[in-house]
Amino acid sequence: MKVVAVTACPTGIAHTYMAAARLEKVAKTLGFEIKVETQGAMGIENKLTEHDISQAEIAIFAVDIAVEERERFNGVKVIQVPLQEALKDPHSIFAKIQR
Amino acid sequence: MPELLKSLRQHLLTGVSYAIPFIACGGILIAFAIAFAPMTPTGPDFSQAPRLKLVLDIGLAAFSLMLPVLAGYIAYSIGGKPALVPGFLGGYFSDQVKAGFLGAILAGLLAGYVVELLKKIPVSRHLRPIMPILVIPILSGALIGAVMLKLIGVPIALLMVRANGALQAMGTGNGIVLALVLGGMIAFDMGGPINKAAFFFGAAMIREGNYQIMGACAAAIGTPPLGMGLATLLQKRLWSSEEREAGLAGIAMGLIGITEGAIPFAAADPIRVIPSIMVGSAVAAVIAMVGKVGDHAPHGGPIVLFVVDHRLAYLLAIVTGTIVTAGSINLLKARGRRLTETKEEKAA
Repeated sequence: MKVVAVTACPTGIAHTYMAAARLEKVAKTLGFEIKVETQGAMGIENKLTEHDISQAEIAIFAVDIAVEERERFNGVKVIQVPLQEALKDPHSIFAKIQR
Repeated sequence: MPELLKSLRQHLLTGVSYAIPFIACGGILIAFAIAFAPMTPTGPDFSQAPRLKLVLDIGLAAFSLMLPVLAGYIAYSIGGKPALVPGFLGGYFSDQVKAGFLGAILAGLLAGYVVELLKKIPVSRHLRPIMPILVIPILSGALIGAVMLKLIGVPIALLMVRANGALQAMGTGNGIVLALVLGGMIAFDMGGPINKAAFFFGAAMIREGNYQIMGACAAAIGTPPLGMGLATLLQKRLWSSEEREAGLAGIAMGLIGITEGAIPFAAADPIRVIPSIMVGSAVAAVIAMVGKVGDHAPHGGPIVLFVVDHRLAYLLAIVTGTIVTAGSINLLKARGRRLTETKEEKAA
């Protein structure tokens, strides 16, 4: 299954990127195809294209702040969780998707 | 209700995330200019130092932009693009009437929710395109401006003056209590919302000219990963090879003031790690407070040493906090191991 994700924390220098790495790693072991966009202090990196988003069955927002350019995700199913959850228990996020 | 609080927190943190670089830029430029200007009994004298005056002015400009950015992006998080105008205006007026960050936060929230309400007004199809670029910004901007200037700005400014006075006049005893709480909060969730609340309180006080709150936070910020790193070095047998590797990474992160370096440890063993790092951070914050450490940058750890007042006390605070953290966790871990070993022996 293809999924896309956005991670963002208030300071945008550590948590944002740690969460992205966690999601990528766990997705791989569970057999998901994932692309993670980070919205940190440097702005949007590894930006999700229109194509990425339209191909994805679901978008994960692991964020503590507002998602930038949220209108890109109109029409896609989104689940939003606190960023901490992607760090502490990323498996539960994917479990939610599979349900 | 929890949903509302959750979204409120998200809006506030969004504003904070855009405001932090402005505090960093303003705080450090101002500190730099003042540090090198000749000191007189009435304060630093810039009359003979035009270049330093230039640096000072740029720093002050970054500071005065910080409130509009804070309010603007709180509003943006709630109401999207149309909310930027009332948000920025509200933050600007908060600066004008000296209502500070408290005024800016209120202005931002108000601006965002007003825009959300205005968006709900049903309008004919022909008018709809001009709503977000014309009607909503003008109406909400005028409303927020009037409210800030005529209604809530001045009372909040008075409140800020009083709160600042209370913080400045705070005795050593209350200062220690405040530092204990802030230090514990910094360590508790290692960069999460509780950490950010303490951090932003310190950062906002920089702008109000009180550097000691941030000083206490800054000392506490570095010690969790530094302490965990030191613990893995001191008693190698208590830690797995992965943990020792994470310990080295933790030391690197601690040195540059990233509390998150302690997360791998806290995630693996929260019951022992979180109390240990909270105690260490609280100790560091108290020593910094007692030693009158002031931090001019919204960041912590040894890396900010050059923008800190009373550097020796700052280093002492960090070193002591680190040792306390490492000592506590190794003690708890060794005890835990002994308990499990005796249990295993009994089972065998």
